[in-house]
Amino acid sequence: MSTSLDQALQTYIAEARELLEEMEAALLRLESAPDDAETLGAIFRAAHTIKGSAGLFGLDPIVSFTHIVEDILQRLRDGNLAVTAQLIALLLECGDHMQQLIEVVAVQGGQLDATAHAHECGLRERLYSYQQAVTEEACMPVVHAPEPTIEVCDEQHVSSELWHISLRFGPQVLRNGMDPLSFLRYLNSIGSIQRISTLSDSMPPMDSMDAESCYLGFEIELQSDAERATIAETFDFVRDDCQIHILPPHGKIAEYIEMLQQLPEDFSRLGELLVSSGALTPQELERGLAAQENPSGNQPQQLLGEILLEQRVVQPAVVQAALDKQSQLQEQRSREQRYVRVQADKLDELINLVGELVIAGAGASLLAQNCQDEALQEATSVVSGLVEEIRDGALRLRMVPIGDTFNRFQRVVRDVSQELGKDIELHISGAETELDKSVVEKIGDPLMHLLRNAMDHGIELPEVRQAAGKPSKGNLHLNAYHDSGSIVIEISDDGRGLDRQRILQKARERDLISSTATPTDAELYNLIFEAGFSTASAITSLSGRGVGMDVVKRNITALRGSVELDSQPGLGTRVRIRLPLTLAIIDGFLVGISQASYVVPLNMVQECVELSADDRRATRERGYLNLRGEVLPLIFLREHFNIDGSPGRRENVVVVRCAEHKAGLVVDELLGEFQTVIKPLGKLFSTLRGISGSTILGNGAVALILDVPALVLQITRQASHAAQQPAALSICAR
Amino acid sequence: MGALLTRETDLRQSQEEAQYLTFMLSGEMFAIGILGIKEILEYGQLTSVPMMPAFVRGVINLRGAVVPVIDLSARFGRHNAEVTRRSCIVIIEADSDGNTQDIGLMVDSVSAVLEIARSEIEPPPAFGAKIRADFISGMAKVNGAFVIVLNVDQVLSVDEMTLLSEASGPALATPS
Repeated sequence: MSTSLDQALQTYIAEARELLEEMEAALLRLESAPDDAETLGAIFRAAHTIKGSAGLFGLDPIVSFTHIVEDILQRLRDGNLAVTAQLIALLLECGDHMQQLIEVVAVQGGQLDATAHAHECGLRERLYSYQQAVTEEACMPVVHAPEPTIEVCDEQHVSSELWHISLRFGPQVLRNGMDPLSFLRYLNSIGSIQRISTLSDSMPPMDSMDAESCYLGFEIELQSDAERATIAETFDFVRDDCQIHILPPHGKIAEYIEMLQQLPEDFSRLGELLVSSGALTPQELERGLAAQENPSGNQPQQLLGEILLEQRVVQPAVVQAALDKQSQLQEQRSREQRYVRVQADKLDELINLVGELVIAGAGASLLAQNCQDEALQEATSVVSGLVEEIRDGALRLRMVPIGDTFNRFQRVVRDVSQELGKDIELHISGAETELDKSVVEKIGDPLMHLLRNAMDHGIELPEVRQAAGKPSKGNLHLNAYHDSGSIVIEISDDGRGLDRQRILQKARERDLISSTATPTDAELYNLIFEAGFSTASAITSLSGRGVGMDVVKRNITALRGSVELDSQPGLGTRVRIRLPLTLAIIDGFLVGISQASYVVPLNMVQECVELSADDRRATRERGYLNLRGEVLPLIFLREHFNIDGSPGRRENVVVVRCAEHKAGLVVDELLGEFQTVIKPLGKLFSTLRGISGSTILGNGAVALILDVPALVLQITRQASHAAQQPAALSICAR
Repeated sequence: MGALLTRETDLRQSQEEAQYLTFMLSGEMFAIGILGIKEILEYGQLTSVPMMPAFVRGVINLRGAVVPVIDLSARFGRHNAEVTRRSCIVIIEADSDGNTQDIGLMVDSVSAVLEIARSEIEPPPAFGAKIRADFISGMAKVNGAFVIVLNVDQVLSVDEMTLLSEASGPALATPS
């Protein structure tokens, strides 16, 4: 049982984190659209769920703090409080604190340290000030649902001012990891339990009792201002296997009677119990019993339940509304249930297996091709088709939209811009662009760094911007889109741009370029990704220490990605990150050089051209090919990789494209498409450039995967250096 | 000297004898402790990796894992080993920064597994050996002849080999 409880706690922690993120996003939305009731509702629900579930686990520090936050949110929702920037800032801080509480209390099972505690006290005080402000202003009583009617002296209604809750826990409750006591504890957090009677009637004799079953029932008198729904929600987790009756203060006697009838225990005994606990007066009980025996005179046999039914039929509209609401709730619930939580490592395991399946499948189809058995070939081709679909499906499981990562930065931008005294707005587009989860996890930090850099160095102070004739509000854009098998993430600002002269001067100081060379803008700007390169004259707390940009680049390179930078003085800077969609399996194009096979990622291949005998000599001298009037720089892989042996009888050019660069890879043979399971080469090969990994072919041999972006970059760099002299190659050097 | 041995052999240090695999390389006999050895393969389908130093022979497919193969002869600074009918790849579990990595060691031929008493192993000579002194863990007397017991951790040090390939890589990478 303890393990399932532990699992439930883990689920709670994961959910709470997600809810807090949602809450934060919603709060930020609220800042721009303060009247959006839906957003407010979302924030309230998030806080409410966090509190409710925390109550179930007995995480009291979370419950008590969140309760106050929830209260404020409730007031906001009721319109008793106005949304102000101050209040949102406070609620954001509260969100942070709840995060901390969850980390400390739920994850580590510890207590807050003194500073955090002091922080909480501060927050509480500020929250109280809002609470009080409201109670003074809003003397008008909040109109609740029609249930708590105020006609006390009516014969139909009981005089008790307390909620009556009748609980019969099902035998499975303990096994399902629920502790009945935690529900009672939670009830105390939304009201106060005035009286409680424990019923152990269903407890079997000692020898037949199952220690893991729950036999308890409770009759509770609760004093609370909460609505029925709030009280009912307490029991959300056990509703299915328990009998729960909640009767409002001054409820109808008939309802009490109906409840008593439905309960398993002896009717009169329970009646007495209720009388003794003060829920009913003796007179009320008598009246109810009499009514049951002789409900309306001429129909003595009619059951009380039916009477109630008739009563309900009188107000069909009310019933219909209730039913509609119920079905809505169910629909919402089923929508939520369409998601299945799966542990990430299970998914990774699956993808590894699919990878092995792809390799084994390739081996099988290779063998089938060597046999003359057509039926076998047919069968294997069907299998490989299916394997391909499974592969795509499995990889899609791990694809997540980048929007969640992007949205996290709203808060960062908000906080940092306030800290810097700048007015900056973050615009997000392409949030639905999907990429592999493992990539998403690793891209957060580099993005954060680039954003901070843009805010700190890129975007100017409002006065400076106005002086430069720009609107005082700075704009940051985060954009993502798919392009030829990679995902491109763009971070652009409309700030001052990079200072070409300063970078050039710094680069010469640091001997990164010779004092006579005149590098292109692109080359120069990309120098800021070199280690220890910072042009910021003043070091701020955010950036400017020169550590960071090289780390950004290293992290991105480790993901087999690339980063480039473009800047217009006075107009802004744009950083473009290009990442592979997945780190596991890709479609490859197999090429051969001598005996060795190499894989080119298929989505970078544009076309293949055969190099005619005439062309061969000429291109070898020139180093480029005239492709329909376009200059295509060539990489002679045999020479580039120092592969022994003479060139094959014929050579082919594989035209690849990476970003806006095109290049031709000269190879011997074209071997066709191949599903490539990427196997990392290990640390020993970490310094290798131009090869990004390896894969296993159908015949068991290892083939190397070409790192096309690195090769293309290398060739365009060479070309741009060669461009000092004549050459039409400068086109490729941008 | 204990530090030079693998952890597994440390455990056995108290015992009198330890087992060693002996193999031939350019006519000389070498030995390595048997505990780090996972398996011995016939030299087969190997994919060479371009732009790596000569001692990185290439990579092989070991039941779905890609494993680098080190040419021991070239690692000792000699010429690359010739592939013969008796060439073998010894798969060794090497330790690098707490991570274990399988590395293949290409040798001319594998001889035998011998039990050598600790008393029969002498410390490495300070000078005069044909290979780097830090590669030698000791000199074992087998049938009256000396066999060099290799310090596998040092010979297959991933960190050192990575540094070496970094140094040699760019030189090879710039095409003429």
